[in-house]
Amino acid sequence: MKEILMVFLALLLAGGISSAGAQESAPPPDTGTLVVTPAPAPPAPVTNLNAKDKPNDHGAGVVVTWTPSADDVVGSTRVFGYAILRAATPEGPFLERGKVPIGEGVFEDQGSLDEVSPDYMADHVDYYYKVRVISPDTTVYADSEIFGPVQCFGQWFNTNKLPVLIFVLCFTTLAIFFITHARRGAELYIRPLAGIEAVDEAIGRATEMGRPILYVLGLGTAAEIATIASFTILGRVAKKVAEYQTGIIVPCYDPIVMTVAQETVKASYLDAGRPDAYNEDMVYFVTQSQFAYVAAVNGTMLRELPATNIYMGKFFAESLILAETGALAGSIQIAGTDEVAQIPFFVVACDYTLIGEELYAASAYLGREPVLLGSLKAQDYAKAAIMIMAVIGFVAAIVGWDWYVNLFNVPSN
Amino acid sequence: MKRQIPLALVFIFGVILIIQYFVPHEKSEWIFEFLMDWIYIIGIFALALGIWSLIRVSWDKIRLRRENWQYSVVALLGLTAMIFFGFDYFRNFFNAAGLQNFMFRHFFDYVMIPIQSTMFSLLAFFIASASYRAFRARSLLASLLLLAALIVMIRFNPYFGPLTAYLEQTASWLLNVPNLAAKRAIVIGVGLGIVATALKVILGIERAYLGKD
Amino acid sequence: MSTARRTSLIILAAVIILFLVSWFAKFSAVQNTGAPFGISVRDGFYITLAAFCSLAIFSFLYKDNPYYKFAEHLFVGISAAYWMCVGFWSTFVGNFIPKVSRTLSDFFEVPFKSFDIFYFIPLILGILLLLRLSNKYGWLSRWSLAFIVGTTAGLNLIRYLRSDFISQVSNTFVPLVVDWEGIDAFFSDFSLAANGQFIMILGNWVVFIGVFCGLVYFFFSKEHKGFFGTASRVGVWVLMITFGASFGYTVMGRVSLLVGRLTFLFGDWLGLID
Repeated sequence: MKEILMVFLALLLAGGISSAGAQESAPPPDTGTLVVTPAPAPPAPVTNLNAKDKPNDHGAGVVVTWTPSADDVVGSTRVFGYAILRAATPEGPFLERGKVPIGEGVFEDQGSLDEVSPDYMADHVDYYYKVRVISPDTTVYADSEIFGPVQCFGQWFNTNKLPVLIFVLCFTTLAIFFITHARRGAELYIRPLAGIEAVDEAIGRATEMGRPILYVLGLGTAAEIATIASFTILGRVAKKVAEYQTGIIVPCYDPIVMTVAQETVKASYLDAGRPDAYNEDMVYFVTQSQFAYVAAVNGTMLRELPATNIYMGKFFAESLILAETGALAGSIQIAGTDEVAQIPFFVVACDYTLIGEELYAASAYLGREPVLLGSLKAQDYAKAAIMIMAVIGFVAAIVGWDWYVNLFNVPSN
Repeated sequence: MKRQIPLALVFIFGVILIIQYFVPHEKSEWIFEFLMDWIYIIGIFALALGIWSLIRVSWDKIRLRRENWQYSVVALLGLTAMIFFGFDYFRNFFNAAGLQNFMFRHFFDYVMIPIQSTMFSLLAFFIASASYRAFRARSLLASLLLLAALIVMIRFNPYFGPLTAYLEQTASWLLNVPNLAAKRAIVIGVGLGIVATALKVILGIERAYLGKD
Repeated sequence: MSTARRTSLIILAAVIILFLVSWFAKFSAVQNTGAPFGISVRDGFYITLAAFCSLAIFSFLYKDNPYYKFAEHLFVGISAAYWMCVGFWSTFVGNFIPKVSRTLSDFFEVPFKSFDIFYFIPLILGILLLLRLSNKYGWLSRWSLAFIVGTTAGLNLIRYLRSDFISQVSNTFVPLVVDWEGIDAFFSDFSLAANGQFIMILGNWVVFIGVFCGLVYFFFSKEHKGFFGTASRVGVWVLMITFGASFGYTVMGRVSLLVGRLTFLFGDWLGLID
């Protein structure tokens, strides 16, 4: 009996130990208990938030600046970036205007002046800004204090363009000074220009050969400066042509250039005392298509066989075609253009070439008018000033005078 | 009156455009776009003037039976045909369907473009003939021109063996250094010339474009 | 009939026959691709026309001839009308009409934008320009011209001052010595590599001297004598090197234009190139 009782107690004891162990190894069944993990702390917000109208623009622009979050340090994973929010009232709703990466402390809120655009940003209207520090967990962020109201508006003077204004005023003053100086009778020297000196000789040659002169004003419009300079030269050439009783052919690319050229040539014939010799068909419009114009002028060169070809104005890829065809026709060729890319072709293919600025100087050289000579003097003084500025610039580049170099950095628009 | 008003207009609009550059305000931008639009619109009337001149000159040639008058007929026929197609055989005179007219497009694709491209390709022959005529070492300047052109032309030629790399570097240096220097000098001079001439035009000193009374 | 005239007629006959043969050949080639009869005839004609126009222009290289004259005059007439049509529809109807009249906008089937009375000013200026054709009132066209010239002069003055003057001067500010660490370091690290110190210093000096001497060359109001004359001569040398280099640089580009045309003739027309 005693033995059976002891076995029974041992069995009970063993069952109790095993059930206690099973209780420890297997969790009790889930009864809906909430497990709370501590939430990550939001990053530190930005400080010193400021917003002001974007300077030197047409409006619809605000520059927002701030001191980055204290948690925005190298190696930190608490800050992912910044979002800039804007609202029309301090109460909101705040809408995101853009994001910047970590380390940044400035954002340009650029809207549109177009009322129908979804990005429309009216001038002289209050805006309120705040900057949100974003963490990798998008539900965790920190907003700054609200800054505002701030208004945007267009400026009436772009201060970044002040150097250009200074140069314009200086050059204008210089030009007016020398023009006045020249008008008072001061002698102004101008160095010889081989291309222009050759014009008289070329017209004489044409007269002896009984062949006309071909004058090509280029592919510019009447408002191009090179074409305006060419009109002056055309006037002188036409006057000489009228005096020598030679023919002149002026095929035009632009209709307005044609009207001006007709007036210029007609006036030259009047000045030369030979109005009867003027024929309106001397100056005619061809077409406003580049290569159609070239095809027509080439044909004219080979049919009329002009003794002299004068190319003065704006030329492009067709410059070599014209010059080579003229050479084939056996003409003397004098060219002048301000298109830098075409000057090598004229230099190679023509007998005389006016390079760049020489085209503009040619009108002063031909007429010797005090006003034109005075302006040329002003240009030379401006070049001298450039050389001095360049020398100072070299020194500035070595010693690190960035302020001097920045004076010449002007925005393009 | 015949010259004073145009000179005043030149001055006024010249100064407006100069001031406009310095004023970033929206109204200034509006003025700029406005004036540019005006120039394009006036340009169409100028084009009409040019077409009239072309027709008149061609017609006079035909009427007076001048030399090569037959080709003026071709020019006028081409002009008329293109206008006819450009206005969609005058069926769609009042919309731009003519620009999509298949004959208009075919004349553009199969006459204008081939002739234009061929004219452009003539440059290959002319550049060779210009080189042949000009590249003679007659003087120091001509020799410099010739040498620089030769180095740049043959820089990618693999037949010079070990010299090829040096040629390439020399050509690259020529294009990036003295080329840059001279072009800069030319561009500065041209810029000054343009500024001076523009100033003379605005101030009424340069009046050649107005012609004479 | 003279020999020259007989020769011309024979050449003309040959050209016409060749044209017809080419047309037929191209028509067959297009039809073999499955195109309908009408399309084949049309495409065959146009490709042949394009090829003959190209050859007519190439014939100019031999000498002026009736085929070149024909192509030239055809090109002049067609191109003048083309730009007139495009200009009328895109600028006049596209840009002007929608800003002056809703009725006209509906008439020309373009969307009306808004009425702007100021757009009548370019209309008036344009009509004044057309008065150029009148002997009595032609002087009024100067008003339109004055507007265009004045506007462009003002625009060019500022644009070229900034881009061709100020920017160019600013770009000339390069240091005359680069990465200078003393004479010993200069000679010990001496190399002719393109990004080496020596080449960079040489380059900057050449740019400086080239710009300086080039500007001296363009001095007009001082005689080129003495130091000035020497600097001017150096400027001319630099200019000549530039012109030679620029000329050589464009040669390959020009040849590629010819390659393009020959590809059309041998490929699209004759079918000799795949």
